[in-house]
Amino acid sequence: MPSPDPRADQTPGSAVVEATEPGPAAAPASGPATGLAAIELRGVTRVYRDRPALGPIDLVIPAGEFLTVVGPSGCGKSTLLSLVAGFAPPTAGTVLADGAPVSGPGPSRGVVFQQPRLFPWLSVSGNIAFGLRRSPKAARKERVAELLAMTGLEGAARLKPYELSGGMRQRAAIARALAPRPKVLLMDEPFGALDAFTRERMQEEIRELWRDTGVTVLFITHDVTEATTLGTRVIALAGPPGRITLDARVGGDLREKVETAIRDAASARAGAAG
Amino acid sequence: MNLALRLGAVLFLLAVWQVVAWLKIWPPVFVPEPVAVWDQLLRTSTEGYSGYTLAGHLLASLRRIVLGCLYGIGGGIVLGLLIGVVPVLRTLLNPLVTFVRTLPPLAYLSLLVIWFGIGEEPKVWLLLLAALPPVAVATADAVRGVHDDYLNAARSLGARPWEIPYRVVLPSALPEIVTGVRVAVGVAYTTVVAAETVNGVPGIGGMVRDAQRYNQTDVVVLGIIVIGLSGLLIDYLLQTLDRRLVPWRGRHI
Repeated sequence: MPSPDPRADQTPGSAVVEATEPGPAAAPASGPATGLAAIELRGVTRVYRDRPALGPIDLVIPAGEFLTVVGPSGCGKSTLLSLVAGFAPPTAGTVLADGAPVSGPGPSRGVVFQQPRLFPWLSVSGNIAFGLRRSPKAARKERVAELLAMTGLEGAARLKPYELSGGMRQRAAIARALAPRPKVLLMDEPFGALDAFTRERMQEEIRELWRDTGVTVLFITHDVTEATTLGTRVIALAGPPGRITLDARVGGDLREKVETAIRDAASARAGAAG
Repeated sequence: MNLALRLGAVLFLLAVWQVVAWLKIWPPVFVPEPVAVWDQLLRTSTEGYSGYTLAGHLLASLRRIVLGCLYGIGGGIVLGLLIGVVPVLRTLLNPLVTFVRTLPPLAYLSLLVIWFGIGEEPKVWLLLLAALPPVAVATADAVRGVHDDYLNAARSLGARPWEIPYRVVLPSALPEIVTGVRVAVGVAYTTVVAAETVNGVPGIGGMVRDAQRYNQTDVVVLGIIVIGLSGLLIDYLLQTLDRRLVPWRGRHI
């Protein structure tokens, strides 16, 4: 497992846990001013087929953060991601990206899905170049080469997705999402379908990519260890409807806190149901 | 090994056929000898039959098939895309396509003859109408089956709404469309003989029909064998096309 590797401006191992108490209306994270927020959610709820799926959620993701969202299946994590991506509109509230309301998907927010979802009729290069169609040819070629190098896929440029291993496919999907230089990278359990060894390597690689590119990452997972080792900040979600039950910076006994938060929420739900 | 087995099966069938013909259980007008059919192959290839050589008949039929299929496949893909993407058109056109698909082509041949006469038009129209529904249905189903993640991925990468159908939806649906094309060509192939029952010379169906009028069973059998063999060849070509166009078919991505 890669060790938590915070950026220079964050003191390593300083055990800063600023966990807000779980409550019906979770307080916004103590992030920088709104002007610097890459993503901001204000009173966001999502009702899907007459059932509340998410919220209300208030959340500020400052630029440059690696935020992991952890919670059990069906708690609304993926709904949260699709609202930020613009795949679905919020039922109430506003989602802001770089201060502007999100009205649909766009190249400022790259998405990596659980399945790589590469276009099988395009080569690896072709997939990476998909988001660069409006750039001049020379710039496009240069950017594709840069991303191939960044993700260690130089030798696979001409291969088709079905000729790649699972890890290579997911790397190609990450390269494709990063190609248009998004400000935010949204990842929906991207390593969930990989074997344990590949997953560990990919976790290290995504941390490196995050450090090297400065992209803001919103990373969804149901794996507590993955959430706490990767993120600079972890949000625990319980639901449906998904609500923030813990919002904490990485360090110290965070992992136990996250596990306790999830367990408490689960037993509270079981109690309410019984 | 496989080839030897197939060749053996063909030779065995020929032998049974020859024996049955020798036994003279039925007159030659029912069961012509293989040799007689072979003679007809040589004669129709050189002297011709009904004024055209065997190759001439076959080419005339193939031309109709190719034209009918090209129009039918083109129309089927466009129609299927519309049905798959626009809900209103799905409601409107789906029953119509299903209706035409269940009709045997001979049922509307008479109508086409009234509309277009007895030249090439009604034949090409008949093949078009036979080839279009399988492609339209396959395309519509495939288009609706495209996973949302692909569409969302494309949108996140800055694809404009009008780019989505041809950049993502059609290529995603390609495996099913190619399968639909194979079905369509097969249907068109079986339909061409029906199309050529009215003024079908030159044409392999017309040749068979003329021979039937004069009880020339050896020519009829020759026609059937030529239709079958050329059908096998066309399907082989389509399989090759399939492998070229959708090499990812059946592979998990």
